[in-house]
Amino acid sequence: MTKFQRFLLKRFAISVLLTLIAVSVIFVVLRLLPGSPFEALVTSGNLNQEQITEIRSMYGLDEPMWKQYVNYLTSLLTFQFGYSILRSQPVWTVLEPRLINSLILLVPALVTTAILSSLLGMYAGWNRGSRLEKFSIVSTTLLRSTPVFITAIGFIIVFAYNFEIVPALGMRSIRATPDSYLETFVSLDFLHHYILPFTVAVLYYSGDFLLLARNGVVEKRGSEFLKLHRAKGLTEMQQLARAGRNSMLPILTYFTLRLGMIFQGLILLEVVFSWPGIGRELVLAIQQQDYPLVQAAVFIMALAVILANLAADVLYAYFDPTVSTNGGGAT
Amino acid sequence: MSTETKPKGALYSRIDDLWTTVRDQFAFLRQDPLAFGGMIVVGAFVFLGLFGPLLAPHDPIEYTVRGDGGSVLRLSAPSAEAFFGTTSYGKDVLSQFLAGARPTLIVGLFGGLGTGALGFTVGVVSGYYGGWVDELLMRLTDLTFSLPFMPMALLLLTFMTPNIWLITAIIAAFLWKMPARVVRSEVLSVRERTFVKSARASGASDLRTMLYHVAPNVLPIGFLYTAYGVAWAIAAQASLAFLGFGDPTMTSWGRMLRQVFASGNMRVAWWWVLPPAIGIAAITTSVFLIGRAYEEVINPEIQTNQ
Repeated sequence: MTKFQRFLLKRFAISVLLTLIAVSVIFVVLRLLPGSPFEALVTSGNLNQEQITEIRSMYGLDEPMWKQYVNYLTSLLTFQFGYSILRSQPVWTVLEPRLINSLILLVPALVTTAILSSLLGMYAGWNRGSRLEKFSIVSTTLLRSTPVFITAIGFIIVFAYNFEIVPALGMRSIRATPDSYLETFVSLDFLHHYILPFTVAVLYYSGDFLLLARNGVVEKRGSEFLKLHRAKGLTEMQQLARAGRNSMLPILTYFTLRLGMIFQGLILLEVVFSWPGIGRELVLAIQQQDYPLVQAAVFIMALAVILANLAADVLYAYFDPTVSTNGGGAT
Repeated sequence: MSTETKPKGALYSRIDDLWTTVRDQFAFLRQDPLAFGGMIVVGAFVFLGLFGPLLAPHDPIEYTVRGDGGSVLRLSAPSAEAFFGTTSYGKDVLSQFLAGARPTLIVGLFGGLGTGALGFTVGVVSGYYGGWVDELLMRLTDLTFSLPFMPMALLLLTFMTPNIWLITAIIAAFLWKMPARVVRSEVLSVRERTFVKSARASGASDLRTMLYHVAPNVLPIGFLYTAYGVAWAIAAQASLAFLGFGDPTMTSWGRMLRQVFASGNMRVAWWWVLPPAIGIAAITTSVFLIGRAYEEVINPEIQTNQ
């Protein structure tokens, strides 16, 4: 086994272990929550004791704790998340469309911002001390440090309420009744609702990419290999392209990490825009104590983070063998 | 070695050194107009946090603003009765804004300090000892990386009644991983330097070496991440409050935004939205700008002005 393979194996084992610990923490926290999701049904008087016992056994809540834990783990492994208590539908039926709604908003936004703000950052870094550099740094610092819901509220007030160019809420207009994903996402109505949250997401994430790219280029600028390129007579732009290519690795790694954290960061964005995504669904499910739905949603979010961390570490170790392969990850 | 023969004198000179460093950083910040502006905002914010509730002309929740005819002024634009207008319940927005600075300051300050202190300690210990200590601590940071912050915080806050100290603790418990990793990687390089090795060779204990030789050299980066920790903590606290998971007994800027959003009055009541929104944006951005200038001191390669 090569050193790299051993590193891969170890890193993979750690990820599996971390997933196990993460889901166990979720299990314990949820069981410790006071009250039960059925309390509302019981206190409203719609159920008698017999029906309650029946429902409890249906959800496996009368089994001993260890058995519930084993059932929980098997259900996660098979992606059978059980039934949502309040929606009376399989959890996956509830979550799947919401997951897709989230991804359709966030993935294009993240890709767009990674490309645009990295290019801008490289250009700014190359023209160090210019007005463009100062301006881009200040504006992206403002955007990335301000909580995303505040930026979103600002944009809603200006563009939806004052100028009335775009709608403030939702993903489709209320009267729209699309039958398929294709019909949902390929329409002018959707695009109209999409612009504002998309823009806010792009702006929110722009800061980190811009600074990473800028710092990378600034650090490369004084280095020897660029002097050689200059001596060879390459134009400014060609030199910048080479300096930029050499600072791609941190950007790539950061992109992977961000992709993993995508759902949780934008819970707020989905709440502000009433976007029917997985983050907003999670907040609703927590408020209604819908255990199965909550644990599935949190599991998906945690899994995304763990997989992205794994991918980032592997990427880094693969492209930059000088990085120690003994667990020192990115960031 | 002088440190071994005159420990007290050495300690004083270290404190002097530290003081000189602090003064130098301060002078540096004054040169950078952005960081200087940030410092003024932070100063104003600390003042508001300490004295805001006392300055508030009315009780933020109990008092109801009434007009000339004695009727309650609901959702009224800024006027002589209420300089910042009123909420939909007829509460004074200015008073809420002034009182709302305090929880923001408490969570920001202690959340940031907790994040920095915890991360710094873990980073130094982990980097200094290496081996299984390092392995254990780094896997622990991996674990906090893999538990998504927002959903976990929401879960914990449904399960325990939110109060600002609990929120501060949750924030510090999740955010220390950032400084821990950065400080650890710095320690790894400091550890190999000659003065550390000679301290060890002359018989200094591990604790002593860490405290006197390693820690001071990674302190600047620890401070930097404490500053960032403050900004993250403020943002996290505001976000949680906005989602309805804030301290229910305290008026905070995040909670004000939640109320104006949930009541559906965002479209009309700009005077209710702007103060808390600008407050949060200004303080987090200022802390980041200061951190940014500070980062350039630590890593001169990336300075803005040549």
